[in-house]
Amino acid sequence: MSLFGTSSGFGTGGTGVFGSTTTDSHNPMKDVEVTSPPDDSISCLAFSPPTMPGNFLIGGSWANDVRCWEVQDNGQTVPKAQQMHTGPVLDACWSDDGSKVFTASCDKTAKMWDLNSNQAMQIAQHDGPIKAIHWIKAPNYSCIMTGSWDKTLKFWDTRSPNPMMSLQMPERCYCADVVYPMAVVATAERGLIVYQLENQPSEFRRIDSPLKHQHRCVAIFKDKQNKPTGFALGSIEGRVAIHYINPPNPAKDNFTFKCHRSNGTNTTTPQDIYAVNAISFHPVHGTLATVGSDGRFSFWDKDARTKLKTSEQLDQPITACCFNHNGNIFAYASSYDWSKGHEYYNPQKKNYIFLRNAAEELKPRNKKW
Amino acid sequence: MPVCSFFLQGRCRYGDKCWNEHPRGGTRGGGYNDNRSSGQQQSRGGGGGFGNRVWVNPSQQKGAYIQPSSFSSHGSDDWGRGGGGSDWGRGGGGGRRDNLKSSEFSFSSQNKFSALGTSNTFDRGGRGGGSGGVSAGDEDDDKKLEIIQMDMDIWESSGQWGFSCYSSFKTPLSGFTDLSPEELRLEYYSTRASGDLQGYLNGVNQLLSQWKNRVQELKIMNPATRAALLAELNGAAPQASSVSFGSTTGSGFGSSMSSFGNKDFGAPAQARSFSFASSPGFGSSAAPSSSSSGFGNTLAAPTQPPSGFGGSSAPSSTSAASSFSFAAASTDKPAAASGFGSASGFSFSSTANAGGGFGATAGSSSAFGQTSGGFGATPAAAAGAGSAAEASDGLFSPESKLTQDELNQFKAKRFTLGQIPLKPPPANMLMV
Repeated sequence: MSLFGTSSGFGTGGTGVFGSTTTDSHNPMKDVEVTSPPDDSISCLAFSPPTMPGNFLIGGSWANDVRCWEVQDNGQTVPKAQQMHTGPVLDACWSDDGSKVFTASCDKTAKMWDLNSNQAMQIAQHDGPIKAIHWIKAPNYSCIMTGSWDKTLKFWDTRSPNPMMSLQMPERCYCADVVYPMAVVATAERGLIVYQLENQPSEFRRIDSPLKHQHRCVAIFKDKQNKPTGFALGSIEGRVAIHYINPPNPAKDNFTFKCHRSNGTNTTTPQDIYAVNAISFHPVHGTLATVGSDGRFSFWDKDARTKLKTSEQLDQPITACCFNHNGNIFAYASSYDWSKGHEYYNPQKKNYIFLRNAAEELKPRNKKW
Repeated sequence: MPVCSFFLQGRCRYGDKCWNEHPRGGTRGGGYNDNRSSGQQQSRGGGGGFGNRVWVNPSQQKGAYIQPSSFSSHGSDDWGRGGGGSDWGRGGGGGRRDNLKSSEFSFSSQNKFSALGTSNTFDRGGRGGGSGGVSAGDEDDDKKLEIIQMDMDIWESSGQWGFSCYSSFKTPLSGFTDLSPEELRLEYYSTRASGDLQGYLNGVNQLLSQWKNRVQELKIMNPATRAALLAELNGAAPQASSVSFGSTTGSGFGSSMSSFGNKDFGAPAQARSFSFASSPGFGSSAAPSSSSSGFGNTLAAPTQPPSGFGGSSAPSSTSAASSFSFAAASTDKPAAASGFGSASGFSFSSTANAGGGFGATAGSSSAFGQTSGGFGATPAAAAGAGSAAEASDGLFSPESKLTQDELNQFKAKRFTLGQIPLKPPPANMLMV
């Protein structure tokens, strides 16, 4: 039975895959563990696009490497290849045809990794670590977009060493997302800029941040016609803002919600507030997943404004997450995110990437009419 | 049951007691519940500005609704029920506010996050700030300040990341440094590789204490802080506090940035480029009030020696050493913060108005481009050194212009809180 098909008894699939630990809080959700996880914190995860058969997962880590696994239908993961940078890898993405992987690193370069030949070559250079990298496929051009801590956003044709375009940002790039023709970049000091990518990339609007604290992650969502219409922005303060670009009624349509906080029922003890490390939207249902420093992931329905599920608490923060192209698999990485500084960093602690069947749990809540 | 048309318009008076059907997921126009314990819109209790949202008293909730988090007394684990998303609320209103006692807060400095111990209450001023309904203009200044105070409490007690900017009512407040965990981690990795972990540790502790001081300041809200805050909130003086670490090992972060002209994005004229110091001169500089002689090998920043720090950092975007400095923007003139070769040092300046625990400065460092006079051996003049020779009016005050008190403050080993001069020091008082 295919574990990643539609409704399968996923819970039973975990018997032989990992050890028989009973009260093991490293995987309380009993999800499938990816074999050969990186040796240091995982900074990013990305699944292959639908143009490629099968599911391939890439993960970049602070151990300077980016690894590729094949995820088979029965849930087995097979490590396929890896590439190295000279600095920690902060972000990675696939090209639209699934043949290349682009990786961005603290060594101020971005590389293009051709999976067929297993060769990687440098395609971008910045003055500071590159925090975000995305592939843009427009009707009249294709390029790589890199956002860096040197406060620039550069666009690269992979064949040329000079950027096609370089845009100045007010502050360091902290996170970005691209869904053609829209790109959103969130910077330090609560900066938020939307770019439009038609014809050539240009700044579309600067937005007053709906959040009070540092931006941490951003993800664009689409409307029913599959056009990007807004984004979800997460901060270090356990809060996500849903923001539409052109809503009919901004005051009503845009909202924020709190997440990744400890149990706040007891009003006499203060809540612990955790950062939202990553947000991903389900490609089919449009519901979203957030993962946080508290070591939990949550699924939400932004239209019904409800929470669909919160996981058990893992013993480490969850640093990255992503869905595969058809939304059947949810991958999340459990590793230290530096949210408590260097004292809590244990280089010996094992890092994990888990895979979960996402077909059922992310269905939007039915309206009760 | 027929569908309640008032609810669809967002104005059902009965809330959960209504006899008609309130479709969940329908117009979240917000039914106001009059029994809300948190009280009215404008008052404390996070009611301010949530004009369009559903605020239903959770105790009356039958679970069919999304419970706005601000008022829910349940945790967020309520996912079993369809409407159990108890964390939703527009603008993120805070929870029920009980008595806030500042005396309950205490922090130790052993583990930087153990300081964020438990204390009461939480989540109240959590306004997302993004809503039109916030009507910041309607609230009293006092209310605004209260909200800020409460936010500080929450921030302190919640264990959340401290190196974050903070803004209230769309205005970013000065005195906070925005650093992502990744940047800090990269710094750690680089310094670990170069062997100088102590520099990193000092840097982090410095930042941490700066943050704590600032949070304390805002919580306590003495009149000076209050005035400064109100000025900021109303868009007057641009201010930013600054910290800079110089580094010789070249663990660098990006180069400096220039000012944000745009108010939306923060105090103007902040310059920052980041790296931790590796100079042994740091050892003695943990306390902001150490004399600048602690920086044996540093060249004093001509701009501001708050309480005797010769701040210097070797910013260089090209060479490996780059520096992190945020300097306070003065209203008149941006000045170069530092540009030194091998020296490293801390320069710490915060806005005078804030009356914070750091030295006051008026120099800002947006003009990294100003190079003059050779400071530092390296071509790290990328960070424009304001050399002593450059002592223009905007940078220093001539002694004649300073009152005796101010002169005394500059002469003293450490600044006295509340009497920190607002004007820059005279050039000749800098320890070079």
